[in-house]
Amino acid sequence: MLRRAVLQTFRQGLAQSFFKRNAVSLSETTVTHQPIETSNEADEKSVSKQKPGDESGNTVVVAPPEFRFMYPEFLPDPAMERRNRLKEKLERIDMLQRRSVVEIPEFYTGSVMAVTVADANSPNKFARFVGICIQRGGSGLRAWFILRNVVDKQGVEILYEMYCPLIQKIEVLRLERRLDESLLYLRDALPEYSTFPLDMEPERRLNNSVVPINPLKVKLRPRPWLERWERQNLQGVEDLNLPQRFYDKAEKVAKPWEKYDLMLQYRKTIPAEEQEKIFADVHSQLQQQEFKRKMRRRRGTDNEQ
Amino acid sequence: MFWLFFNHEQVRTMSRVKRRTTHPPYWHVLKNNQRQDEKISSDNLRFVREVIQDKYKNKSPIKGSDLDIEKKEWDPKTKRSGVIARNIGVQHMWEKDGKKVVCTVLHVLDNHVIRYVPPEEYAKSIIGAKVFRNRKPLGCLVVGAEAANPDRFTRQYCSLFSEVGLLPKKRLARFIVTPNAVLPPCTPLTAGHFVIGQAVDVYGKTIDYGFQGVVKRWGFKGGPASHGATKFHRRGGTIGTGRDKARVWPGQKMPGHMGSERRFCRGLKIVRINMKYNVIYVKGTVPGPTNSIVQIFDTLLPRRKFTEAPPHPTYFPPEDGTLPQEDIWDSSLHVFGSPSISV
Repeated sequence: MLRRAVLQTFRQGLAQSFFKRNAVSLSETTVTHQPIETSNEADEKSVSKQKPGDESGNTVVVAPPEFRFMYPEFLPDPAMERRNRLKEKLERIDMLQRRSVVEIPEFYTGSVMAVTVADANSPNKFARFVGICIQRGGSGLRAWFILRNVVDKQGVEILYEMYCPLIQKIEVLRLERRLDESLLYLRDALPEYSTFPLDMEPERRLNNSVVPINPLKVKLRPRPWLERWERQNLQGVEDLNLPQRFYDKAEKVAKPWEKYDLMLQYRKTIPAEEQEKIFADVHSQLQQQEFKRKMRRRRGTDNEQ
Repeated sequence: MFWLFFNHEQVRTMSRVKRRTTHPPYWHVLKNNQRQDEKISSDNLRFVREVIQDKYKNKSPIKGSDLDIEKKEWDPKTKRSGVIARNIGVQHMWEKDGKKVVCTVLHVLDNHVIRYVPPEEYAKSIIGAKVFRNRKPLGCLVVGAEAANPDRFTRQYCSLFSEVGLLPKKRLARFIVTPNAVLPPCTPLTAGHFVIGQAVDVYGKTIDYGFQGVVKRWGFKGGPASHGATKFHRRGGTIGTGRDKARVWPGQKMPGHMGSERRFCRGLKIVRINMKYNVIYVKGTVPGPTNSIVQIFDTLLPRRKFTEAPPHPTYFPPEDGTLPQEDIWDSSLHVFGSPSISV
């Protein structure tokens, strides 16, 4: 009896240590539909916490926990064979250097954005494209996002590399989130869901501190589709109205055990302690850059006056 | 038919060469120590570590030896030393016209020169005799990288370094040098050894793919995926005619072990040097997986060799204490802190 109790506590301890380590990372897997707080107006609303202090007595700045959603490209590729701390550090320095020149705002899939790119073949040498962000990925300097729009009844998608020096400006016209992390189903949806006016003005948010989630349910066109949407647990799509055999096959092919697979999630994410370190450094640099931009803007308006 | 016969001969000779071994050559000194279960207290362990650190810190090049660095002249036929580095990954950079460039990041480890073997002595050794069979012999610099705790190595291995007074290194490499590019033992080699824009050759062990089939290993096309193909999708097919020699020729391409072979990547251009972290960015890719060790040296390609003198025999920090420029970029690259490119 005593041995079993000991084993149980050992297992609990293991599980607890796992959960503690992955508390931050595990919650990423279940799509939590809670609105995310942004630290855009950081000095107006001090979201960054100050840890009670390390051995030397200095307060340690900790980035807000939302940073891993706002700036996911600062986290490296979790594959252990290809990780190297020095290279990641150097890449981060380069990323922050680029961010000091061009403001890369916070955005999510579902946000409507406008990107201005230097283009030799355009009449005024700059090409501006407006679209909804349907997917984002990559880590480090390879980070990318795809914007989709329907222009003259033709669906157009453009993949932009976030740190490419040809990009002059990235504006977020409407900052919001959707119910899914990837909106590739818009390719099979009715065109009105992907159409945005090319001269769209930036929208002002009513509540600056919270990113709204748009609970829109999109209607898909009749089949054939590009992917088997019934197998992907999409939240942002209206009822697919498929014959029962599709759902039966989806159940057969589904892997419901994956949400219990701790090691799978562990291998897909960066440990929480490392995330904290990375974002603490990034947060301080980004705050400095934001401050410098504000000063430049104020000086600009003063000069105009 | 004559050229066909010649092609077969070349393949035959190379197929008999042993490409991989899992053990070092017989003339290598036994390296790794079996871990002894020493019951030593943590205080004593800390003391031992401090003693080691004190003993080996601040190693400077041995002065007053025959190999003192007199101002030996550089000439176009000089062969300088190379450097041991670790391939720490791949980073994307952009050129000034917006074109993306894939660069490999190479971290120059803590290299120190261990020993110089003069040309006459090196020509008598087993490898030297082979290399310089019909050529004028050159000298050999033994360079070590990645200092480690002497505990993990055998006494014979540590003795290679104790003559010089260095902490034993995990990695050793030999670089063929001309006598005018000789360096005294204990000389550190850093990223400043190289020049921006120069071409280098990188020598490393390729990625180990294990036992691979004929499609991945040799690029065979295999068979049709459908249309009734019975058990013939990724196979080799025929392995010979019936007439010529009536047997399978040696060197016939078949499944087998792929990768884990030493290869050169020649003529890679250095586009960025970070002196603070001892890191070189090289345009292109390099043999081997991430975090593997490679050797870098000045290129052999005749059209990309030096026209002006590089840091010869190696880079030394200036004596007046001024720090070098931390991050040096090639003129073709777009620096990240500079304004966006407008075409």
